[in-house]
Amino acid sequence: MRKILAIAGKELYTFFRDRNLILLSFATPLVLSTIIGLAFGGVGGGGSDSPDFAEIAVAVVNLDEGVDVQEVLGLPDQFTDVGSLPFDPADVSLPFGSSQITLAALMESGSALNFGDQIAGILLSRPPGNAGAADGAGLRFDEIECGLLGNGEGEETATFSAGGTLDDLLDAAAIEDADLARAGVDSGEYAAAVIIPPDFSRGMIPRFRLDGEGRVRAELGDPAGTVEVYGNNGSPLSARVVQSIAAGIVNQFVRVSVALGATVETSANTVLDSFDLGVVDLSNLDLSGVDLSAALASLQGLDASVLEPLFCLITPGASNISVSRRPLDALQQAPTIARVIVPIGASQAVFFALFTGVFGIHSIYEERRHWTLQRMIVSPTPRFYLLVGKVVGNLVTVLMQLLVLLAALTVIASIVIGEPTMIWGPSAGSILAVALALALCVSGMGVLLVGLARTPEQVVLFGPLINIGLAVLGGAFGFSLPVQAAQFSLIYWGVDAFTKLASGQTDIALNLLVLMAQGLALFLVGMWLFKRRLDL
Amino acid sequence: METIVDAQNLRKTYRRSDGPDIEAVKGVDLSIRRGEIFSLLGPNGAGKTTTISMISGLVSPTEGDAVIGGHSITKQPMAAKRLMGFVPQEIALYPELSARQNLLFFGRMYGLGGRKLSRRVDDLLAFLELHERRNDRIDTFSGGMKRRVNIAAGLLHKPQLIYMDEPTVGIDPQSRRRILDTVKQLRDEDGMTVLYTTHLMEEAQELSDRVGIMDHGEIIAMGTHAELTQQVGEEDRLEFTVSGGVADGAPARIQREVAGVTRVLYDAPEQAGAESVEPAAARLTVFARHGRTALPPIIQVLDSAGLVIQSVAVREPDLEAVFLALTGRELRD
Repeated sequence: MRKILAIAGKELYTFFRDRNLILLSFATPLVLSTIIGLAFGGVGGGGSDSPDFAEIAVAVVNLDEGVDVQEVLGLPDQFTDVGSLPFDPADVSLPFGSSQITLAALMESGSALNFGDQIAGILLSRPPGNAGAADGAGLRFDEIECGLLGNGEGEETATFSAGGTLDDLLDAAAIEDADLARAGVDSGEYAAAVIIPPDFSRGMIPRFRLDGEGRVRAELGDPAGTVEVYGNNGSPLSARVVQSIAAGIVNQFVRVSVALGATVETSANTVLDSFDLGVVDLSNLDLSGVDLSAALASLQGLDASVLEPLFCLITPGASNISVSRRPLDALQQAPTIARVIVPIGASQAVFFALFTGVFGIHSIYEERRHWTLQRMIVSPTPRFYLLVGKVVGNLVTVLMQLLVLLAALTVIASIVIGEPTMIWGPSAGSILAVALALALCVSGMGVLLVGLARTPEQVVLFGPLINIGLAVLGGAFGFSLPVQAAQFSLIYWGVDAFTKLASGQTDIALNLLVLMAQGLALFLVGMWLFKRRLDL
Repeated sequence: METIVDAQNLRKTYRRSDGPDIEAVKGVDLSIRRGEIFSLLGPNGAGKTTTISMISGLVSPTEGDAVIGGHSITKQPMAAKRLMGFVPQEIALYPELSARQNLLFFGRMYGLGGRKLSRRVDDLLAFLELHERRNDRIDTFSGGMKRRVNIAAGLLHKPQLIYMDEPTVGIDPQSRRRILDTVKQLRDEDGMTVLYTTHLMEEAQELSDRVGIMDHGEIIAMGTHAELTQQVGEEDRLEFTVSGGVADGAPARIQREVAGVTRVLYDAPEQAGAESVEPAAARLTVFARHGRTALPPIIQVLDSAGLVIQSVAVREPDLEAVFLALTGRELRD
């Protein structure tokens, strides 16, 4: 073991003593990443500048069947006959933002809500009238102003939608078939597909029931109505942007759902409180002797702000809703320089680490030429130890190279931003795990290449070619290939993992699994081939 | 005297797919006694390095085996390797590391460590007069200094047997002298056995207790200096460089007419070009029992044959003569 450590330590020492290697392994990727980061992320790195994203191709599939307004608000089990109410619903006005709407309009049969149309309209940047926000004569959503967007809108607007609508950012296309949209994503035609399920509106609307004490209770909608964002991992940033936008919009709908439930629950219970009836049997309710004036006054006196989120959904300005209203993931919240430098820096770090992997192992030929290998072989050291020591040294060197590059890029980004910024995310353990898995892969690739090559010249020729091929596949040169192709490159899996971590996500298990499995396979085959290099 | 190296029928054949196989060593038998300096003498390409590589466990023999201190190099390589040190012809050191770092690293390969190793390294550096430069990188050293560190790396674990493969190649006479003295010191003071390869007859002659002469992958003669020179008898060797005409017939006349001459070797000159003014020189080697007595009549014969003598040298019996006598070629050919 001591001999293995001695060899590994010597490998590490000689690597870090070689100025040319340092220049190639550290300075070059750092300079490249910094230049690209500054070019696309801007000096200053403030949060107000927009990254130079091209329009992101998105497929929008709206399968939402909508939900009947009367079904939702009419409490059909309890109030089967609107006409039996002891007052005229047309006389009851409710405060909807700065407008008033009658209860009759809301309860009119056939007034359908389709939130899916709303979302599709926002994503497709269509005028709300075309989005089919509401059918029926009673409710004119497009006449209601949105109170949600106040004067502070601009301050909280996400960087990539600042100064414009989603139309500036997305190149959205309406697709009718979900499978077709997914296929389009798989082929790289779209960065992501937003698929709104048939039950979306139904799921968003709270259900009301009476509890044992006769109180109205609101229950959250059906969780089946979840919007699916199908992303293309070949364009992780774009897919994530789409996901963020969709999540932002859906979050607002959820807020509306919660607000609506709370409002109706509060209102109904207020009415019931005024009846002061204790346990109520609504089926045999005789309201003839009840003074409804207090209840109606209570209902009409509701704070309009409670209902504002609902109006916001259905206003003409809905397409301007900013995704900043929902919590953004860590990477999107980060300054532009950080967002640019994470994928670029990670891919450059892995790309240059590949050279360390190959040429670190290739140094076995140098050792042979200088006869230091022969000197070790003549010593009472099993050849297997020499092999393991060499490979462990290379593995640690690659790991250190990756970690130093990540740290250096953090420092550079922090300097540009003007404050310490953990651009790779807060999870040091996960970062280390990804770096270790990558080092295993990179070093394994080096072992395999040197093992396969018949001469040192072949390694020098084919090593860089294969590395460049992996970089092209993995998107290290600024363009992405379809994800099916990209997944063949360890760079893809590494960069994807680092980007996820930087975004605050933790679902990197698949990345780790793929990298570890790949690394292990490369090592085993490579070692078997590489041991021939010790035959003199 | 106890035998420390016993090699039997060592053979190494390199298979080639694009041509005939190369038989680098053709069944060498070798026995080295404990505490002696044994030199393998032969021209470049004779198979000395391949032989030493097989004995040291660096390459596997195609056939045969070598037993080192009772351990077979093919069956018990680790035990055999613990007994031996290795000084290759090349400077087998890391140029980017200091002399001390190199020695510490190779010491660890022999299982040494800690203070013991540190002390041993310092002792060796002092012994080889390199202590002051111990922390300097190897690539800043002169050729002779590198050679000395190269030797030190083979001595770290105080081996019973040390292989030295042409350790004086490419260095100045002063450094060479120092290395030769070191080798003798290892035998005389430390009782070390040295297997030394060289193509320089003078080195083998000065250092060796016994010499094995190798040529074309075979040991063609083996013994002490005296035993080997006896093989060519008490003959002196007279070397002439001549020019000025065709020497055909002159060698035969010398052998026939000059008393005491036993053999005449003649290297014909390469044909001079048509435009060449100067006649090409030829070499003539004459073996005679009393060289100085035979010299005047030989000169007479050459003169009468129309040859111009450019140089004459009379050499007493040595290993060069033995090699020449056995192979018909000079060691430096």
